[in-house]
Amino acid sequence: MILTSSNTLENKEIVEYKGLVTGESLIGSNIYKDLFSGVRDVVGGRTSKYEEEIQKARDLALDSMIEKAVQLDANAIIGLKISYDNLGGTMGNTILVTTYGTAISYE
Amino acid sequence: MVLPYPTNNMKIRDKEYEPAYLRRAILCIAFGTGLGLFVYEIFLFFKIDIFGWNLGLIFAPLAAGYAETMLANKILGEDIGAISAFILFVDTTFYSFILKNPTLGLNIITAGSILVILQAAFPTLVNYILLVLIGGFITHFLTSLKKIEKAVSSFMIEVFKRYKADPDVDLKIKAVPFFDEKKSNEHINSLDFFFITSTDVIHKKHEIVGNYQTNIIIKNDRKLVHLEPEVAEKEFLTKIKEGKDECLIRLVEEVRKNSGNGVVNLKIEYGLIGLGGDIQISTIGMGVRVY
Repeated sequence: MILTSSNTLENKEIVEYKGLVTGESLIGSNIYKDLFSGVRDVVGGRTSKYEEEIQKARDLALDSMIEKAVQLDANAIIGLKISYDNLGGTMGNTILVTTYGTAISYE
Repeated sequence: MVLPYPTNNMKIRDKEYEPAYLRRAILCIAFGTGLGLFVYEIFLFFKIDIFGWNLGLIFAPLAAGYAETMLANKILGEDIGAISAFILFVDTTFYSFILKNPTLGLNIITAGSILVILQAAFPTLVNYILLVLIGGFITHFLTSLKKIEKAVSSFMIEVFKRYKADPDVDLKIKAVPFFDEKKSNEHINSLDFFFITSTDVIHKKHEIVGNYQTNIIIKNDRKLVHLEPEVAEKEFLTKIKEGKDECLIRLVEEVRKNSGNGVVNLKIEYGLIGLGGDIQISTIGMGVRVY
């Protein structure tokens, strides 16, 4: 499965637009994780725990999206977009990771 | 030379004073007051102050009281209550706060100054208030807090016991919300509509019918604490996915009203709206008619 954020595939012809495919995942709020990340933020350095969680969430969303593309008999996804939104508000961090794109088949 | 008649175990009001005793007592007070005024003058002359507040206000009454007591012990055989300290307190307060600074307002500095002066002038009374009354109040307050904590703790234990024992509640918790991704995907892509997230439709003739946007607001669950955070997260995610599908369907309906059959440069956006943490889902795209 080819994933690209561009409109076209280099040296390949789009045969059919199969449809929209999306994937979503959520990183829930966790007071201890938030606390330790906060400490790391204060002392400097990378908050590796968050990085790991975000990477896991992104992979989960991408996998879900790819699964849907396979379901539509597509072999590529173009116009791929990945976004991260903090939807926790005042209650803490709840990060929504969303991926979406157009499933196509190419030759 | 110590006078023979006053005895240390007698209170001052019970004693019968001879004029000589009173004269000596007045002398002690005058000496203390004079020394206190001298000390205050020194502090004023050298401007020994903190944030404009002269330290003589503390040290002058202290010096007066100390000098008076020492002298009274020497010539009367007892102290006479540091009356000069009180005189200095009145005198210095009048001079500093009224005569010299008639416009001085009540703020944290002046309030603190008054407290310190009172401490210097009436040490026993102020110490009693500080140690006995305030200390007693704090102790009582902490004891009350401990009682409240015990009451809340036992109440919470009861609640959790009841919650665990209630089979209906268990069933409710186990009913994890489920979103059928496959069905959702089939449904959205069976609408005979082009959802193009890229900015152009390649190799297909098309015309633009307009720009479209639809929104969905998802009410936030305003619970402070979720008993099952994982279930709450799944529920939240399910609501978002359902909201997104609904938003896409509305977009399709809007574009179709103008004879369109697709959108290009489709964007799906999520954001917080309002102070309550409600979620806004938006789908935005350029409506097209693809031939």
